[in-house]
This record gives sequence, structure tokens and C-alpha cells, in this order.
Amino acid sequence: MITIEKLNEYGADTKDGLARCLGMEEFYLKLVNTMIADENFGKLDAAIEDGDVKKAFEAAHALKGTLGNLSITPLLDPVVEMTERFRHAEEMVDVSDILPQYKDALERFRALAE
Amino acid sequence: MPKTNASQQNKDERQLILIVEDEFVSREILKMSIEREYDVLLAENGKQALEHIGASGDQLSLILLDLNLPDMHGVDILNMINEKEEIHRIPVIVLTADKEAEVECLDIGAADFIPKPYPDIKIIQARIRHTIELFEKRVIIGQTEFDELTGLYNREFFYLYAERSDAHNRENLMDAIVIDINHFHMINERYGRDFSDEVLKRIGNRLRDLTSETGGLACRRDADQFMLYCPHLDDYEKVLGMLSEGISGEGNAENTVRLRMGVYPEADKSIDIERRFDRAKLAADSVKSNYTMPIGEYDNELNEKNLYREQLIVDFPEALEQEQFKVYYQPKFDIRGEKPVLCSAEALVRWIHPEYGFINPGAFISTFESSGLINRLDNYVWRAAAKQIREWSDRLGAVVPVSVSVNVSRVDLFDPDICNTLKGIVEEYGISQEQILLEITESAYSEDSKHIIDTVHRLRSEGFRVEMDDFGTGYSSLNMLTSLPIDALKLDMQFIRTAFTEGGDTGMIAIVIEIAEMLGVPVIAEGVETEEQLNALKEMGCDIAQGYYFSKPVPAEEFEKFLADR
Repeated sequence: MITIEKLNEYGADTKDGLARCLGMEEFYLKLVNTMIADENFGKLDAAIEDGDVKKAFEAAHALKGTLGNLSITPLLDPVVEMTERFRHAEEMVDVSDILPQYKDALERFRALAE
Repeated sequence: MPKTNASQQNKDERQLILIVEDEFVSREILKMSIEREYDVLLAENGKQALEHIGASGDQLSLILLDLNLPDMHGVDILNMINEKEEIHRIPVIVLTADKEAEVECLDIGAADFIPKPYPDIKIIQARIRHTIELFEKRVIIGQTEFDELTGLYNREFFYLYAERSDAHNRENLMDAIVIDINHFHMINERYGRDFSDEVLKRIGNRLRDLTSETGGLACRRDADQFMLYCPHLDDYEKVLGMLSEGISGEGNAENTVRLRMGVYPEADKSIDIERRFDRAKLAADSVKSNYTMPIGEYDNELNEKNLYREQLIVDFPEALEQEQFKVYYQPKFDIRGEKPVLCSAEALVRWIHPEYGFINPGAFISTFESSGLINRLDNYVWRAAAKQIREWSDRLGAVVPVSVSVNVSRVDLFDPDICNTLKGIVEEYGISQEQILLEITESAYSEDSKHIIDTVHRLRSEGFRVEMDDFGTGYSSLNMLTSLPIDALKLDMQFIRTAFTEGGDTGMIAIVIEIAEMLGVPVIAEGVETEEQLNALKEMGCDIAQGYYFSKPVPAEEFEKFLADR
């Protein structure tokens, strides 16, 4: 189960995220929980694999918004970086340098729920 | 001016905001941060957004719009809102994670933007509040929601906001109230425009004071009418007293302005807002000439009365066709000689309604006058009377040259064809103009008197004789009387009643008789009920009398016995 402590350990800026939720822990954690299964992670992976930069941008952009609102910083940082690289690209751009950081952060994030 | 109205509106109305955001987390945070203050609609995609705008566009105070939607771009929605007349007043705040998009949005008509990740909730709330206020003011400036003189809402916007308020507060018990100024046109005429404008302004200010206390909305409905939609009140007299403050002359009877109020308490929200105020208006009208009780409440009885009147209007065409209207005749007697001698009759209409039975004209004439049906009814009576005269002459012979008087309402006199119509009837039944006497009520002369007098002149030049009915109830000036084209004065029944009750005085009757003498026309007294009255009238020099002393109005067959007796 995800807790504030776990998130803090993970590196999320829970203070900032909670402030957006008027300090309501339960509400904040509920939203964080929904992110575990957020379909945009899968979409992003698939788009990168398919070399579809447009779809990759859409998924990364969506994640940027939500992760940002919840202040899940370890994941947000690589997602923001990817979003900016995809933004004006006509063709798929190389993100291989960011992917390990992103995958690691995602894995650790999902592990929080266990 | 707009300021007070804005606060007036906020009191009882939660504004409605549409959030268009496909991301669950962002949507939920936004919803949570505003739902305490506003009602919220949610859309996960462009399609849902358009559906909400279509269904609730007129109630929306704001749209929070994410630009990246799965099925369409938010910019397209923004464009659509800007292009559509009915909804382009709705401000849109764009939600965006892109710095670049912010300026673009403002360029194409977004009111503001909220960046993602969201800033402090307080900033979001403030931006929303400011945007709504700004746009409300913009609408105000552009569309004159307000009555210029009083600063209250005008009728259209009042109804609009009342409906919106209902949509947000379904459970609140609300009163629909109409406030009317008695005899406003008289005040206008007597004291001038500036004075009456001042009166209206003061009432407007009082209404604003009231709504800022109780919540609710107020508007100027018509020249001299106001509407108030507010949470249920207990003490209407107090409200009326408050509204009358400073305009009722404070003991100075000279400039007393009196208000009357119609209340539809705890108005039924399932019926249309305008109908609710129709009911309040009905209640206000029910106390129109009641100075001791200036507050009327709408209730079932009033509703039934109104429905009854409506029903009579609906039933009218069929009643005419099926000849449910019966013409009764009340004899008039020449009382100058020793014994009263039958000289003519007054035709009076009765309605034998298949459901309600015998209906007196008092119950339907004024309804038909205000609905314009009186013209057809009068026509019907004129024809019936002419036909009856013909029949009596044929059957009873030339020994009885009968004349019958018929009522001609004020409305009839505005019919440019009235002369031809009456002439046509006389010709059709082969009777003479002298046999149809026309009774025109005195009050008809006081309104648009020139037109009426011209018409009466034409009728007389065609050979018709005109009796001035209900004399003493209108407001003819003595000066005007001398120039009026009339052949007889008919004393109002009320004169006789008052003169002969205890403590009554026949002085007024004597004066009227003198006036008639001066004009060289006979006086007809109606409502004569006793021998004492008859003798007194004779003594004073009254020429003709009718009333229950002689006979009530009777069907044509019964009236024949008077003819035979003669």
C-alpha cells in the first residue's frame, strides 16, 4: 500500500502534492494509486517502440500533467525531458539516454504499491 | 450600479463550472479544489464537453478546458464557443502544461489560463473568481441586463437568473412576488415625470436593500411593476411597509403613493418561471381596488377563479354557435303620468352554460371585454334584439311599436365599422333606428374621449339614439357634458341604492335630474326596487324607471305580457 512515508522515501515532493489536494492525505493517496495503472505509461512505451513520435508526445505530455500535479518528482523529471524532446519532432528522437532513469523510476514507483 | 446586482446574484446562486479534462488526476484535483464554492460538471473528452455545453450552456458561468483531449483539440472547442452567439459570453480558462500554448490561448479568446502542474489552489480559485466577475460585468455592459432607471434587472435577465438560481437550489422554498403601484398613470400625470421616476427609483433601492438582506433577485417588470424572487418570507406586510418607506407621503395625503403586492408563496418550481409570476400578478390584481388589504396571495381559489375565466373564454365560440347566450328583457316605464306606462326594454344577456348553468353577465362581461370577445357577444345581442323586435311587431301588430336598448361597450366603439354593422342589422330585420337604443357607459367617454365622441356623433347622424349608461360613475366634467351627443341620461343603480338607504341623501339624484333638464334629455333611473323609491323619483322629476319593482329581466316570451297589457 502506498503511504506518504513511502512516497517521501521514493523522492516524491509530497508536501507540494498534498498542498494541491488541500492537505487531504487520503484523497492524494487515492490519486497517486490511480497512477500505478495509468495507461499512458503503456502508451508511451509502445509509441517509443513503434517510433511514433506524435503518440509518444501525447502520452508523455499527459503524464507530465498528472505526475506534476501529484509531484511524483522521480518520474516527472524524465517524463518532462522526454516531452520536450518529442514536442516539435517530426520523427522519433533518441531518448535512450533518459529511458533507464525513467524505467527505474517507474519500477520503483509501482513497487510502492506492493 | 452593476456592483450591487452582482452581490444580489451571488447570495443565493451557486455558479456552475464545466471542467473538461481527460486526465483523471488533474480532473479530480480541480474538481476538489472548486466544488465547495461552485457546482461542477465534468467532461472527459470533447464530445462530452459539447453535450454539456449544449444542455447547460445557459447556466454555465465558466469552462475550465484542457487543450489536449483524446478526441479533439481544445482550441476547436474554444473557437466554437467564441463563434456561437448564445454561449460566447461563457468565459473559458485553459488548462495547459505548455508555456507556449498559454499565449496562443489568450489570443484566440481564452479568458485566462491555469498552468500544469497546478499552482497553489488559492491562485486557481482566485483566477476563477476574477474571470467570472469580469465576464459578468462585460455582459452587463454589453447587453444591458439592467433597467436604466432603477438599476434592477430587466425582465428577461431576471427570468434567466431566477431560472439559474433554481437550477442550483432545487430545495429552497422561493416566493414569487409582484409589486404594483396603484394609479401610477395618475401620479405621472398629476406630479410629472420627475416625481414618478423618483418614486420608481426609491422602490428600486428598497428592493435592492431587501434582496441584499434576504437574498434573491428583483427586477422592474413594466412601467410601474416590480418583481421579486426571494427565499420564502414570513411577513409580507413588513416587506410592503419597507418598500413604501419614503414614498407614501408620511401622513401627507397629498402625495401618497400606494403599493399593492401579489404573492405566490413557496412557488411551485415545476412550473415555468414566467407562469409563476403570472400567478403573483394575478394575486396583485385581485387586490387592485382594495385599499384596506393591499396584499393578495395566490391560492387555489384564485387559481380556480382564473381558470374559470379562462374556461369561459375557451367555451365562448361554442356557446355562441349553440346559442347558449339568452337575451332577457327588462321593461322600462315612463313614470311621468299617473300610472307607469311601458315605453321600452333593456336587452340583457344571460349565459345558460351546459356545465355551470345560469351565469350572470357580471361574471363574464369584464372577462370578455379584456379578451376582446365582447364585440362578438354584443353583435349577437344586437341581432337577437332586432330579431325579437321584428317578431313582436309581426305577431302583436302595429299597436306595439317596441324599442329595445342594447349595450354598446367601449371596445365596440373602436370598431371602425360599427355604424355599418348597426345599420345593417336594422335593415336586415326591417326595423327603424329609433327602435334600437344604444346604451354607452359614461366611463367610455372619459377614455380617448375624442374618438368615442366622434363615433357617437356618427351613430346619431345615422338616426340612432344614445343613452349614457351608469351616469355618475364616470368622471365626465360638466363642461364636457354639454358637448356630449346623448339622448338620455341613465342614473347608475348605485345612486338609487345609496340615496334610499338609511342616512342616504337624494340630493345627488336631484342634481343629475337638473343636469338632464339643462341638456334637454330625459333621465332614466335603474335599480328601482320599492314604491317609496319610485314616488321619490317621480317627485324629483325623473322620466323613466326600470328595476325589480316593476320586473326583473325576463325571457322574451314573458316580456310579451307587458306588451299585451299595454
